Amino acid sequence: MKEDLNDQDYYLEVEAPHVTKHWKPGQFVIIMTHEKGERVPLSVATINGGRVGMFIKKLGKTSVELYREFRVGSSLYAVSGPLGKPLKLEDYGTVVLASDAVCGHAEQLGLAQELAKLGNKVISIQTFKTEKEVYPEKYLTTKYADEHYITTLDGTAGYKGHYIDLLRELVARREVKAVFAGGALASLKKLAEATAGLDAKVYALVRTIMVDGTGMCGSCRVRYNGVIAYACRDGPWFDARLVDWDDVLRRDARFKKIEKIALEKYLAR
Amino acid sequence: MVKKRFTPEVLSVSERLRSFGEVVLGYDYETSVREASRCLRCPLWFAPCSKACPLKVKVPAFLEYIVKGDLEAAARKVYEDNLFPSITGRVCPQEWFCEGNCVVSKIGESVSVGLLERYVGDYARENGLDEKILAEMVSKNSGVKGRVAVVGSGPAGLSVAGWLRLRGYEVVVYEALHRPGGVLAYGIPEFRLPRSVLDHELKKIENLGVEIRLNHVVGKTVLLSELTSEYDAVFIGSGAGTPKLLDVPGVDLNNIYTANEFLTRVNLMRAHLFPEWDTPINVGKTTVIIGGGNTAMDAARVALRLGSKPVVVYRRDREDMLKTARRDEVLHAEEEGVEFKYYLQPVEFIGDENGFVKAVKFEVMEPLNELDQRGKKKIVGTGRYVEIPADAVVIAIGLEPNRVLMEESGLRFNEDGTIAVDDHLMTSLPGVFAGGDAIRGESTVVEAMADGKRAAEEIDLYVRRKKELA
Ligand SMILES: Cc1cc2nc3c(=O)[nH]c(=O)nc-3n(C[C@H](O)[C@H](O)[C@H](O)COP(=O)(O)OP(=O)(O)OC[C@H]3O[C@@H](n4cnc5c(N)ncnc54)[C@H](O)[C@@H]3O)c2cc1C
Ligand SMILES: Cc1cc2nc3c(=O)[nH]c(=O)nc-3n(C[C@H](O)[C@H](O)[C@H](O)COP(=O)(O)OP(=O)(O)OC[C@H]3O[C@@H](n4cnc5c(N)ncnc54)[C@H](O)[C@@H]3O)c2cc1C
Ligand code: SF4
Ligand code: SF4
Ligand code: FES
Repeated sequence: MKEDLNDQDYYLEVEAPHVTKHWKPGQFVIIMTHEKGERVPLSVATINGGRVGMFIKKLGKTSVELYREFRVGSSLYAVSGPLGKPLKLEDYGTVVLASDAVCGHAEQLGLAQELAKLGNKVISIQTFKTEKEVYPEKYLTTKYADEHYITTLDGTAGYKGHYIDLLRELVARREVKAVFAGGALASLKKLAEATAGLDAKVYALVRTIMVDGTGMCGSCRVRYNGVIAYACRDGPWFDARLVDWDDVLRRDARFKKIEKIALEKYLAR
Repeated sequence: MVKKRFTPEVLSVSERLRSFGEVVLGYDYETSVREASRCLRCPLWFAPCSKACPLKVKVPAFLEYIVKGDLEAAARKVYEDNLFPSITGRVCPQEWFCEGNCVVSKIGESVSVGLLERYVGDYARENGLDEKILAEMVSKNSGVKGRVAVVGSGPAGLSVAGWLRLRGYEVVVYEALHRPGGVLAYGIPEFRLPRSVLDHELKKIENLGVEIRLNHVVGKTVLLSELTSEYDAVFIGSGAGTPKLLDVPGVDLNNIYTANEFLTRVNLMRAHLFPEWDTPINVGKTTVIIGGGNTAMDAARVALRLGSKPVVVYRRDREDMLKTARRDEVLHAEEEGVEFKYYLQPVEFIGDENGFVKAVKFEVMEPLNELDQRGKKKIVGTGRYVEIPADAVVIAIGLEPNRVLMEESGLRFNEDGTIAVDDHLMTSLPGVFAGGDAIRGESTVVEAMADGKRAAEEIDLYVRRKKELA
């Protein structure tokens, strides 16, 4: 099943019972479109019986190809997982979920349900650029969260600003015990700075460039608390304030130039 | 007698730089007969070549059949002990095993056992004899004796799977990646082990009735506890796992790869064919490779074929390097123009303003007159430094076991992170066996295969005993 979330992001659901059996919030999957494809890590947004639902942004060659060429009945070359460490969730009290991009929104769905089940008061903040980009309601965490906020950067819907702005206001008034955030890496860096003195746990989804996803290659490595950690094996969720975000941002750009070539070549076909 | 060995055809250096084609082309029929004739045919109870081979291949016996021109009989002889002669013949460090102990080496050059084994293996493969021989071997067992799960499809896992099938077991192999073979698929480049050969060897094992379930990470997709309750026994051949990184400033810079990442991007994901294949890789004018083992040689020769100039930097000397890398690969790297620098230890990586590496700073080392436990010279720093420019760096200083995949399994580990096993290759969990790099740390293909073969025997004994008691 495939459905547009907005004009860049789409929802894709695939049959992968071997993955759904043991999946827990925090874990991701790796897919390959075809034999020559890249191994692409993706967050899990939904689990429907033996089916895995993902939110994907049309960004480069793989995600565009997947959008254009795969339809109901097509099969992916590989789906592997669940990978990464499941989050050890507990009843923290009041918890904030925050995201401003596709992988963050995906992670929020599972997290909101699980955290609510554990007895937390869940506040969810989902940031989009403008009203036009806001996902359809069934793909938001509205019904799972105790409080749900949409923010838009231009103020066309909900609160005007970024999740970090709203979070700042919230923590000034309320006792927030834990924050889980995903999405743009640059925002997560700001989040770590904004919550530096906060007496709460702050976890971030560290999205790095992966190959195998099992701890075999070191492509996904990040500086964490001064030592090297592998995002695929030790993460992908880490304590945001112990992550060296400059390192993460720098390493995220390492293939930018040649990835552009791949997309251009594909689009020219 | 002929003191010098007959040399095989090799691809010209200029041809090599343009392709990933196989470098050593191997013997033809006449040369293999001539080379096999150099063997003195030591009696089997004595033959040091066979004794030194982890798989105990009956070398003089199969060489005798080559001399007689009966290649089918030679293949049968090899298959009695080794199911993958086309692989071992290509990648074994023969100078440490069979050939290193050949009596002919006392008066001349040892017999080229590896190349001859490869010749026999390739002959069998190209003429469909391998499938025939295996089919005969498997038909000796009727009925299903039990079911065994294997974790990992590297040399250890493939070997135990094959030998267990031949003993009448049903075998399911669980492999984390989308392609089987372990290091044979993602580590060793195709100019040493062509894809077509590996693919055939994998097909051969599948045709024997072994099921390989790809994209299954044991510990994540399926739990070890599920395997132990569903199967009569389990074998873990999960390999050595995680690359070691250097703890020096700048190691996080862009274009600094571990050898596993560098080689996986190319060998498994075919980044040299980007953008026809989707996975990218960056190199530049110069690639500095740090290390001196097989992995370093492979990374250097891959870099060369990607159009970069490789410089291998090792902290000891060439003599010590030959204790960790297969001799032929060092020689090939040298003749292909890979530059080698010795007695240099990296102390810092220097980056440009965009965070990409641009140079490596090394301390000049010197040897002491003392040997360490592994028989290599001890070295000390001199306080002098040199800088080598680099557009990319590959760190090839070794691996440590990736135990996280098995974290909650209840397995007992040794201090170095390898899985602890007893004399029967059984782990701390009853009915769970292990072998290959998972128990040895970094070792060799043939030792992993030998563990697999022995584990098949131990598992057979264990399962039969268990069934008798039940
Ligand atoms: C744990 C995790 C969860 C993720 N969840 C999602 C998700 O839910 N939805 C989503 O759209 N994306 C997600 N991503 C990112 C996604 O993997 C990349 O967007 C994807 O690989 C892009 O591939 P492409 O060919 O379309 O673009 P490309 O042109 O190949 O890459 C564009 C950018 O994507 C990133 N990227 C490229 N290759 C990889 C790779 N092999 N591994 C990781 N990042 C890469 C880099 O930042 C790169 O610059 C996640 C990544 C990780 C690590
Ligand atoms: C670059 C390089 C070159 C080498 N060259 C040589 C050479 O020339 N000659 C030689 O003799 N040796 C060589 N070696 C060493 C040799 O390759 C290894 O000793 C050998 O492959 C070990 O075999 P194995 O089966 O134990 O493990 P591996 O080959 O490492 O295979 C392990 C397999 O298990 C899978 N796996 C791991 N964990 C799990 C899990 N939890 N669930 C499912 N699957 C899992 C992995 O994906 C992998 O496919 C080289 C090694 C490298 C890295
Ligand atoms: S398996 Fe390897 S070590 Fe044994 S005889 Fe063959 S080449 Fe030599
Ligand atoms: S040791 Fe050398 S001469 Fe003796 S049997 Fe082996 S290969 Fe032949
Ligand atoms: S992606 Fe290879 S180690 Fe994490």
